[in-house]
Amino acid sequence: MDPPLINESSFSAANPSAYSLAEIWPFPINPGSDPTAVTGGGLGLRIGNLGGFGETSGLRDGSMEESTVTEQSVGCGGGRKRKELSSEDESSKIVSTTTSANELNDSNGKRMKTPVSKNGNTGSKEAEVEASSADGSKPDKNSKPAEPPKQDYIHVRARRGQATDSHSLAERARRERISERMKILQDLVPGCNKVIGKALVLDEIINYIQSLQQQVEFLSMKLEAVNSRINVNPSFEGFHSKDLGLQPIDGAGMIFGSQTAREYAQGSHPEWLQMHVGGNFERAT
Amino acid sequence: MNNPHHLNPTSLKSRFTTRFLRALTKIHAQKSISSSSPTEIFRRYRRIKVAADKSMAYSVRSRRIWSRAMLWKLRSRSYRRQDPCSGRRSGKINQAIMKKSSNENTTTRREDGVGFVEEADELRQLVPGGEAMNLCNLLDETAHYIKCLTTQVQVMKKIADFYSF
Repeated sequence: MDPPLINESSFSAANPSAYSLAEIWPFPINPGSDPTAVTGGGLGLRIGNLGGFGETSGLRDGSMEESTVTEQSVGCGGGRKRKELSSEDESSKIVSTTTSANELNDSNGKRMKTPVSKNGNTGSKEAEVEASSADGSKPDKNSKPAEPPKQDYIHVRARRGQATDSHSLAERARRERISERMKILQDLVPGCNKVIGKALVLDEIINYIQSLQQQVEFLSMKLEAVNSRINVNPSFEGFHSKDLGLQPIDGAGMIFGSQTAREYAQGSHPEWLQMHVGGNFERAT
Repeated sequence: MNNPHHLNPTSLKSRFTTRFLRALTKIHAQKSISSSSPTEIFRRYRRIKVAADKSMAYSVRSRRIWSRAMLWKLRSRSYRRQDPCSGRRSGKINQAIMKKSSNENTTTRREDGVGFVEEADELRQLVPGGEAMNLCNLLDETAHYIKCLTTQVQVMKKIADFYSF
């Protein structure tokens, strides 16, 4: 991963270097120099894309440039070329370390110019290569057919970049929703407000639910015992009215958060019940 | 005003109380012979537990995912009790469906990016029907489920206290 990094910095900073590189390259190095032609054309296209991105933000633009540049370095391929690059870009690297995102934006303008000359250069190359490829009669034409697939590729890349952007937006919204719900749950579960960290809060919630479920089991066991012990079934209407009559007494405004961890021990505290019974349920349904 | 629960018979608490007491009286009436064998006691306990769950889920009605899932589970369980052969098969199918859905979820869950995947999985086990929920729904349903559970506990405790004094 090191060489691409070097390439990134050097390329993003100074495209003139790429231009000079194209000059320096002797033709025999890349006999089937289609890759260079493609990258040359691609560079221009990329700039078209980047021009669209330029309005969004400097940072974003910088990242996009980086990605495209790595692509290009990959496209250039050969280790020998890369060596040349790194040896030859010492000066440009110094520039690149100082470049900010805005300067990268400016380098777009520079880049706009370079591909033209580069195209010309590679075009002359291709004029020699043409015989083997036998593709187009003129360099312009030769670079044109290479463009559409490249453009497609770049388009996908750009779209992918946009997708991650919207995705990150959606992700942020989702996270907000989740934390909102976590807050509601924290209010609901006693003793959860002091806990920091979502995982710990969830642990606390899980414990609470488990304790409640155990309480239900325990109470149904108790009810079973009670139910079997009592021979005479008390009139359930009377009980019902009594049960409901009890409720207003238990202050209807108790907040769950005021409870301690005491009720985890599923004890039979009547005052615990009194605290629980209230209009809490209606509050949130 | 001073007695909102009397004025509001449609509140979830009173609905649950009515249903649960009805189920309790039914269970009590069915127990003609006071058998004290452990299996009988356990069976009655299970019936009370199921009655509590069922009346809670019915009181919520099918407004919530967890209540629907709970009712579905209880129904399949009662079917199993009635017809062991077909019931077991349906139970297996249910399990397979559950497993499948949870497996499908794992792939999406891994890319959730939240830092509490294990805890969320644990929570999914606890909340009925939670296997097939995404995280937002899960937290929503958990909140409602907790409220219902607390109501259930309150009412059951009150009934138990009333019976046992």
